[in-house]
Amino acid sequence: MESIEQKKDMQLLIGTALRVGVMTACAIALASGIYYLICHGGEPMPDYTVFHGEPSSFTTIKGIFAGLLQFQAKNWIQVGVLVLMLTPIIRILLSLIDFARERDWLYVSITAIVFLVILSNSLAGA
Amino acid sequence: MTVLTFTLILICSAFLAGLLGSLTGLGGGVIVIPILTLCFHVDFHYAIGAALIASIATSSGSASAYVKEGITNIRLGMFLEIATTIGAVGGAFIALWMPTNTIAVIFGVVLMFTALMQQRRSADHTDVVGSDLARKLKLYGTYPTKEGGVKSYELTHVCGGFSIMLSAGVLSGLLGIGSGVLKVLAMDSAMKVPFKVSTTTSNFMIGVTAVASAVVYIQRGYIEPGIAFPIMVGVLTGALTGARLLKRLNVKVLRQIFACAIVLVAINMIYNGIAGKF
Repeated sequence: MESIEQKKDMQLLIGTALRVGVMTACAIALASGIYYLICHGGEPMPDYTVFHGEPSSFTTIKGIFAGLLQFQAKNWIQVGVLVLMLTPIIRILLSLIDFARERDWLYVSITAIVFLVILSNSLAGA
Repeated sequence: MTVLTFTLILICSAFLAGLLGSLTGLGGGVIVIPILTLCFHVDFHYAIGAALIASIATSSGSASAYVKEGITNIRLGMFLEIATTIGAVGGAFIALWMPTNTIAVIFGVVLMFTALMQQRRSADHTDVVGSDLARKLKLYGTYPTKEGGVKSYELTHVCGGFSIMLSAGVLSGLLGIGSGVLKVLAMDSAMKVPFKVSTTTSNFMIGVTAVASAVVYIQRGYIEPGIAFPIMVGVLTGALTGARLLKRLNVKVLRQIFACAIVLVAINMIYNGIAGKF
């Protein structure tokens, strides 16, 4: 019975983590978005019809955080995007802890593989 | 058009995409791409980046409720995520060199397939005897029923389901969509998982699958903040509104109307892709 209770706890925790993550990401994006509109709202729309890639200030963690200090609105929006991307990753880590607590080593390895695929891809993707 | 008008129009369209996506069960990403490319003539790469953001937001937002209710099979999701994440990484790298017009045609075909699959009747697979491999992997579970009881189930054809998931992952990585239809197909038709469990587990997996390719896309500069912000805010509020409405509305007619609209959009995509307009 205790293990079922434990399982319920974890389901609640994972559910809450997903909700909090998405809401935080959305709040950051909304606040920075409003700031972005205040600064640049009146300017003509950038040309999105042709893809020209983003500068490194939006594509690397170092670049994004450097822009934060200069209060660049778009960098703050990218932080919202990063928090959104971290949400499912945190969910994986919570599952990993949960399986380890149940001593379910098969699923600890399965979860670790998924985590490593994402991690190696974030490091090698550039 | 100024930045302000573009953003406001985009928030409203994203709200509609999130609303329709959750009412029809298609997800937000599938609708975001045609809106951005066909209505706003935004480059396909930016549209894929935006669709990924929409997929992660809607999947995580709605998965939260299903996980708490205990319908989602977390073990099954975790195991199949090996296939979808590896597939998604592959898909994201294919997308880097594949011509945009080819991607548009593939998107149109997937869209049409999605609309057709939506019309299928769902079976509930009672009394499935689990295969040995499924038992070894502890792929069985229970889910709460409407009457307040708990129903247990088993499943089979693990390898078949796993390989369909691999292709679902490639499509997610290539197009930025959740490819929920393929995921449900793998679980429902191949592995004989109860329908309610397949749909919620598929939704649960979409976030992780999308992140696996989003880490590539963001570093390649496909995620533009000026588009990401209205999409994230609009799609999420739309999806949450949709989830509330879903409890009170009968969406059967809406789904049929929407399926026809999707087929028209798909034809438009394929035509424009073949004509080389992207």
